[in-house]
Amino acid sequence: MKIALTVNGKLHDIDIDPGEYLLDVLRRIGYKSVRRSCNSASCGTCTVLLNGKPILSCSTFAASVDGQNIETVEGMADGEKLHPIQEAILEEGGAQCGYCIPGLIMAGEALLRENSDPSDEEIKLALNGNICRCTGYEPQNRAIKKAAKVMRGELDD
Amino acid sequence: MLSNVNEYFRPKTVEEAYELMQNDRDHSIFLSGGTIVALMESSRIEKIIDLKSLRLDTISVTEGEIVVGATTTIESFRKDPVIRKEFDDFFYDAFSLVGSWQIRNMATIGGSVAPKLGWSDVSTCLLTTGSSLMIYGVDGYQRMLVSDYFALPTGEKPLITHVMLKRDGWVSAFEKFSKTTFDIATVNVGLSIIPERNRIKGARVVCGSRPQYPARFESVEAAMVDLEINDVMPAIVRSLVYESFSGGSNMTASFEYRKHLASVLAQRAAEKVKEMIT
Repeated sequence: MKIALTVNGKLHDIDIDPGEYLLDVLRRIGYKSVRRSCNSASCGTCTVLLNGKPILSCSTFAASVDGQNIETVEGMADGEKLHPIQEAILEEGGAQCGYCIPGLIMAGEALLRENSDPSDEEIKLALNGNICRCTGYEPQNRAIKKAAKVMRGELDD
Repeated sequence: MLSNVNEYFRPKTVEEAYELMQNDRDHSIFLSGGTIVALMESSRIEKIIDLKSLRLDTISVTEGEIVVGATTTIESFRKDPVIRKEFDDFFYDAFSLVGSWQIRNMATIGGSVAPKLGWSDVSTCLLTTGSSLMIYGVDGYQRMLVSDYFALPTGEKPLITHVMLKRDGWVSAFEKFSKTTFDIATVNVGLSIIPERNRIKGARVVCGSRPQYPARFESVEAAMVDLEINDVMPAIVRSLVYESFSGGSNMTASFEYRKHLASVLAQRAAEKVKEMIT
């Protein structure tokens, strides 16, 4: 069957199998930041934004999002300039192996669009579906706080 | 990928969706949020009937009750201003414990009740608030309590179209124990009280993940009627739940462990309810 997806603002007409997951389709058309890890809706690594809201692409049928807007981490940077969340993750040591980071950044981005000044508790709640085996989470929480400040114009990027 | 799926339907009406299911019940499945269907890895499924195309994702107030479309996501439901105000953030707080943010943006209210899952926090909360369902089945549309839906024979596959809620003066609290922040419940407990002159006029006590599907503990509810709402009440509720607990063991927890957990969670829920009333 055919579906149309707008990914990071670019329209794609794609042939899919009716039982295919969004994760596989996105990777097939070149969005390799979207990664498979648990494949059971448990780790958040495959997080993308669907119409601005974080969802798990490993357990979303591609056919069910026909005609909708998807955002991945490939759409975050402005040319060579990283997005404030990406920059803050680097500065705060929020990425070690880096495998989970694209999904975490998308969840963080969704949070900051909804709440420009989240508390520590709100950050923890928003990111509790993104599992990281390297960092212990504290650097990532700091990074989200820092990015929020930059995005509010209270800190230079 | 569900590799045997060869047809994907987007019905426009409830009747059409139901008819599609009846055409090939053994190989068809309703898709709402998709969080359960996608993980089934079943070779049996050949046809997906996507219910999102029915546009049952609105929340409205009709004739004194709140009517929630079955494909409303858990996150939209918990953050809805009408739901937050009407239920004093009961659902807002309780559903923050359901899965992760991502899962709550996908899973739907109807889809969380339909499969009659033992561990469903959504089912426990809807039972706690005395909610009803509108279903479409062999006899057309029918309204029934969530508890009656659970009692339907396993073979019946009616379609849930709406959830109806009414607060009617009840004060509710929810408690959950799970191994990680977004794991399914080892045990969950919902408790509602309707107060009258600082005494309990009526109570609903619901326990889920027993591991069977959530159930009301009616003997506990009966024993709570006329109890004074004071500092001692939560401990009495704990003892009542401990004595009357019905459930079982599975790989997650033993019967004995669940019994202890449920009684402590009931006490905590009763503490919360007491604080809200007094």
